[in-house]
Amino acid sequence: MRPVTSPLTEFERNARAVLEDSVARVDGRTRSRLNQARQLAVEAVGTRHRPWWRAFALMPAGAVAAALVLAVMLWHREPTAHESPLLEGRVTGVEDMDLLADADGLDLVEGWDGPFYEWAADQTDTNVQSDS
Amino acid sequence: MPEFATLASPYSMLAASHGDVDLTDEAKTRSRALNQFLAGVELKAFKIAQTALRHEDDALDAVQDAMLQLARAYAHRPAQEWKPLFYRILENRIRDMQRRRTVRGRVIAWLPFRGEEDEDEPDPIAQAPSPEPQPMRRLELDQAVGALERALGELPRRQQQAFLLRTLEGLDVAATAAAMGCSEGSVKTHYFRALQALRAQLGDFYL
Repeated sequence: MRPVTSPLTEFERNARAVLEDSVARVDGRTRSRLNQARQLAVEAVGTRHRPWWRAFALMPAGAVAAALVLAVMLWHREPTAHESPLLEGRVTGVEDMDLLADADGLDLVEGWDGPFYEWAADQTDTNVQSDS
Repeated sequence: MPEFATLASPYSMLAASHGDVDLTDEAKTRSRALNQFLAGVELKAFKIAQTALRHEDDALDAVQDAMLQLARAYAHRPAQEWKPLFYRILENRIRDMQRRRTVRGRVIAWLPFRGEEDEDEPDPIAQAPSPEPQPMRRLELDQAVGALERALGELPRRQQQAFLLRTLEGLDVAATAAAMGCSEGSVKTHYFRALQALRAQLGDFYL
């Protein structure tokens, strides 16, 4: 090898030769891994990551249509007559919640006076019978 | 592997559904061309990444990422643009890894109980001396490579990059500028300074 006292081009040529020699001596394990990486890359040609909305383009047309119909039906469904019990139930549920959350109701439970309520119930039954 | 295999199928089906057989052929031709291109640059790219990162596995990761990115995003570009694009991607990946390593180093430096668990165990097979006798020429080259790599390692990153892209990869000034993302004038400056530093460092060394 020549000493580095030669002109610039000689230095560059020598440096290149040395570097190329070191590249040529890359071990088999590294070459194998590079080869695997290359195969992966070649298989990935044209598989660029798409934006999320582009994923819909790959969905089957039937599934998209079914999902759209279902969404429209759910969105525009009018309340019908036989749905009223459900609506009533919702109102009742709200009232139940009011009763449970009411402070008076809690006092009623805590200060439970059994005999009084039994007497009151008897009175109510008696009044109903006498009215009829 | 299976991930890419499943992704490749819709691509082919899409081409076939349009009745455009030429598109599939073109894709195959492009894949072959890309394979050939990557096979031509992978070793040099690995060497450049290894010089910058000083870690073999990190260098392999960087090259692999650059290959994938090129294939996914730029395979459709003209083949003559691939080389500067590839080295631009590789350089970005190297810089990301260096930054991450710097941050990790700072965090680890603050940890009270830091051990040596992050250090890779040396591979005994790789460490074993070759049974073949080393000729004198081999020894000289080993010394030359070692000295040059040490000197390159001490260069600023941009100088190192300019030198390796110009000298090892053989890119011209314009392509080097495209790969480095700077002007041609900057490339010339970085390259000149790299040469000066290397000559000063290796002045007494036999190359």
